[in-house]
Amino acid sequence: MKIVIAGGFGVGKTTAVGAISEIQPLRTEALMTSAGAEIDRTGHVPAKTTTTVALDFGCITIDDDVKLYLFGTPGQDRFGFMWHDIVHGALGALVIVDTRRMDDCYPAVDYFEKAGMPFVVGVNLFDGVLAHDLEDIRWALAVNEEVPVVTLDARDRISVRDALLAVLHHTFRRVRTQRTSTVT
Amino acid sequence: MPEQDPDVTLLRPYLLTSGRAQPVDHTLEIETQVVTSDRGAASRQSLTFERRDIVELCRTTMSVAEIAARLGLHIGVARVLVADLAALGHVIVCRPAAALNQDLGMIERVIRGLEAIR
Repeated sequence: MKIVIAGGFGVGKTTAVGAISEIQPLRTEALMTSAGAEIDRTGHVPAKTTTTVALDFGCITIDDDVKLYLFGTPGQDRFGFMWHDIVHGALGALVIVDTRRMDDCYPAVDYFEKAGMPFVVGVNLFDGVLAHDLEDIRWALAVNEEVPVVTLDARDRISVRDALLAVLHHTFRRVRTQRTSTVT
Repeated sequence: MPEQDPDVTLLRPYLLTSGRAQPVDHTLEIETQVVTSDRGAASRQSLTFERRDIVELCRTTMSVAEIAARLGLHIGVARVLVADLAALGHVIVCRPAAALNQDLGMIERVIRGLEAIR
């Protein structure tokens, strides 16, 4: 099983994975090719772009038969549309936000909303300080009312654990609601 | 480990997998668990390079992503190689019957496992 850890560059994804993973976070690379949907900064549409992106990931043993992998999305979130293989089949996602650079998380939030993947926003407390009210952050991110917005310290195991639990509880409620709404 | 030369690095994933971009088994997720079969363990000597490395590595059950990371392979290449080895019966791929990420029992199980972390 897996949970995706998303968010902009440097928000603390690898730190969060490292704080809770039983194994030292591993890195693998994916070759990603875009068919030219991306317009680069010079205004050109490349015919085809092949990029290597790094995936940092960790693992937690849940029980004898189940392991939970935490996959961090590549730092270059503008390649979000290439995430399918990372995200497909995930239990949910944690989008980590740095309030100093909130824009950086928009691609991730957009992606999960469009994909219908349950996600939680985790505001990383750098220096343990929450500079804004959580409701202000929710408004600034323009996320749906039902999306949980929590705080976390990406360096702290229990804090990361609690954020992951928030993801799972949210997913559970979503799946259960979908189940009951399809029963006639 | 991948060479430093960028041209070779770009070529290499395709040489390894004979130019096939799609693995035999399309349902191989990056977190799919892989373990070497008895046949695979016995056939080790007849395999070469990355295939042998994978069969050796998967004596301990691990995910496709871990295989890629530990052998320095691109994840797409690892998926193709693992799918090939599974088709040949050298490794066993653990595939759930249905989408477990939508299974309430599984979600609860993972919750319990995380709650146990202190």
